[in-house]
Amino acid sequence: MTLRTDHVAGAAFVGFGLLIIALSGDLPAGRLSMPGSGFLPMLVAGLTIVLGIALFLRARESEPFASIDWQDLTHAGPVILVTAGAIAAYTVLGFIITMVLLMLVVLIGVERRRIVHAAIYGIGVVILTYVIFAIFLKSPLPLSPFGF
Amino acid sequence: MESTLVSLLHGFSVAFEPINLWYAFIGCLIGTLVGVLPGIGPLSGISILLPITFGLNATQAVIMLAGIYYGSQYGGSTTSILMRIPGEASSVMTCVDGYAMAQRGRAGSALCIAAVGSFIAGTFGIVMLTVVAPPLATLALKFGPPEYTALLTLGLIFLAYMSSSSLIRTLLMACTGLMLGMIGIDNMTGHFRYSFDLVELGDGIGIVPVAVGLFGLGEILSTPSKNVTGKVMAPKLRELLPTTQEWREAAMPIARGSVLGFIIGIIPGSAHIISSFLSYALEKKLSKHPEQFGHGAVAGVAGPESANNSASTGAFVPMLALGIPTGPITAVLIGALMVHGVSAGPQLVTEHPDVFWGFVASMYVGNLMLLLLNLPLVGMFVSVLRIPYAYLYPLIIMFCIIGVYEVSHSIVDVWIMLIMGVFGYGLRKFGFDPAPLVLGLVIAPLFEQSLRQSLIMSNGDYLIFFSRPIALGLMLVCIALLAMSALSFFLKRNDWRTKLAVAEAGET
Repeated sequence: MTLRTDHVAGAAFVGFGLLIIALSGDLPAGRLSMPGSGFLPMLVAGLTIVLGIALFLRARESEPFASIDWQDLTHAGPVILVTAGAIAAYTVLGFIITMVLLMLVVLIGVERRRIVHAAIYGIGVVILTYVIFAIFLKSPLPLSPFGF
Repeated sequence: MESTLVSLLHGFSVAFEPINLWYAFIGCLIGTLVGVLPGIGPLSGISILLPITFGLNATQAVIMLAGIYYGSQYGGSTTSILMRIPGEASSVMTCVDGYAMAQRGRAGSALCIAAVGSFIAGTFGIVMLTVVAPPLATLALKFGPPEYTALLTLGLIFLAYMSSSSLIRTLLMACTGLMLGMIGIDNMTGHFRYSFDLVELGDGIGIVPVAVGLFGLGEILSTPSKNVTGKVMAPKLRELLPTTQEWREAAMPIARGSVLGFIIGIIPGSAHIISSFLSYALEKKLSKHPEQFGHGAVAGVAGPESANNSASTGAFVPMLALGIPTGPITAVLIGALMVHGVSAGPQLVTEHPDVFWGFVASMYVGNLMLLLLNLPLVGMFVSVLRIPYAYLYPLIIMFCIIGVYEVSHSIVDVWIMLIMGVFGYGLRKFGFDPAPLVLGLVIAPLFEQSLRQSLIMSNGDYLIFFSRPIALGLMLVCIALLAMSALSFFLKRNDWRTKLAVAEAGET
């Protein structure tokens, strides 16, 4: 049997539904006349499982799993890592340092652009954005330990 | 009718305030840029820019965001015609004949017809919105929990039925959205649900991190810069005027597209996308020269462009009158109003007339602005496409982070955005449309509350949904739609939705 995309997706949704039911253990489902906080989550989790099974059973209509093109992962992977790093640093290093680093890492590290171009562009747009948010929109952005 | 006109005049007095005109202009300008740029659709544009409106009042915020929405419909046609790249999904059909016209040296003409068609259709949609929304809101005041439950159920089923992807996939996405919408404190009992001892999750998952993650970051992850081309052709201003023959060929498709688009717009689903596909099919069917379609038929540009603009206005009817989102974009707009302490729905007309009528009137003004903006400045908008995508997407990531963080200054929200971005990337790989997830997330609290209240009212009797006239009518429509879906599934029949999906897949 060929493993197809809907086999994987269907199984994942069944697993998700089961996980919700497991996590809902201590939530009272209540009675029909007085539904509790676990009532709708259980109902939706049940429906997710049923639909997941249906997707799994109809999987032959979908593409083979092996046909999914993962080539863009070489772009997505580094972008995810850089974004995660920026989020982790955002409230610690502040807006300006974090975002300049994000720009430089993406432009130089991921996109292989020239260092001078990347630096001028990165620093320029970050400063401009800071001015727009902090001064014009009066929406404070996180500051670095150095006070900017 | 007289009171509607008086209220509309009041709306114009709000819309013509210089500050509101400014935000309408900014919204239209940004919207056009969002539409022009491939990879950023109206939904991601609105989601990313939503936090910028937090410093504004509710009227200014909704005027600006709606400007972005219908501005992106206008802008989307530019790249479709000049580069055969749909700036957003509803412009896919314009690519076919618009680009063929451009190849024959009629790019300016195609752009002008698209802009004028969009203007006429948009204006028609607003007139209809003005007429239809207030009486609908009055009717909605008679709705109780069973009616709301039935209406929301109908919304989900309609979305699934109208979706060009499979019913099961759409419902699975909606269920996932409903599950996410149930995270946090249960309003009726005070129980914490799935918050994993994170205080930030107590209030639930916000729509902004989810929408920005799924549509903003998710889109960037799926679009490597090497796949984005930069060849641009820009028509000169004097080339923009169509010939008399072209105007003649465009007139009826614009009229039909306006009516068809509005009707589809008020029905839940990705209305503006569906309407452009249906309009194209309709024009091809009615044309005396169907063989010209695909080779630069004027009607192939005029019809779909008018339909998608009219549909985006039509989508505001259920949003404003019933408080029900018909798609993810209106869901985000409802979220934007909520952030400003205004609930969309029947009370909006009476409790916040400035917001309601100011918004409606600003749409008339915005449409005119777009016409004046789009034609003379087409060269400027096109030049934006010359910015390499490699420089553009880090900027968008930065705006995603700022935007989500600024909502409640919570870094947990920004992590949720990243998780949703990765999830959105995965969903695209497996052919799932994430839009119903956002819809499920938005309606989850109202749906749960109305369902539980209905059951408490009826002492646990499900027949309450079939014993009140409005709820019964809505439930019968739900059953009919499910029956039609089941029928086409068991008979293995290719109905119009399947044909639409095939056409959509073929064009994208």
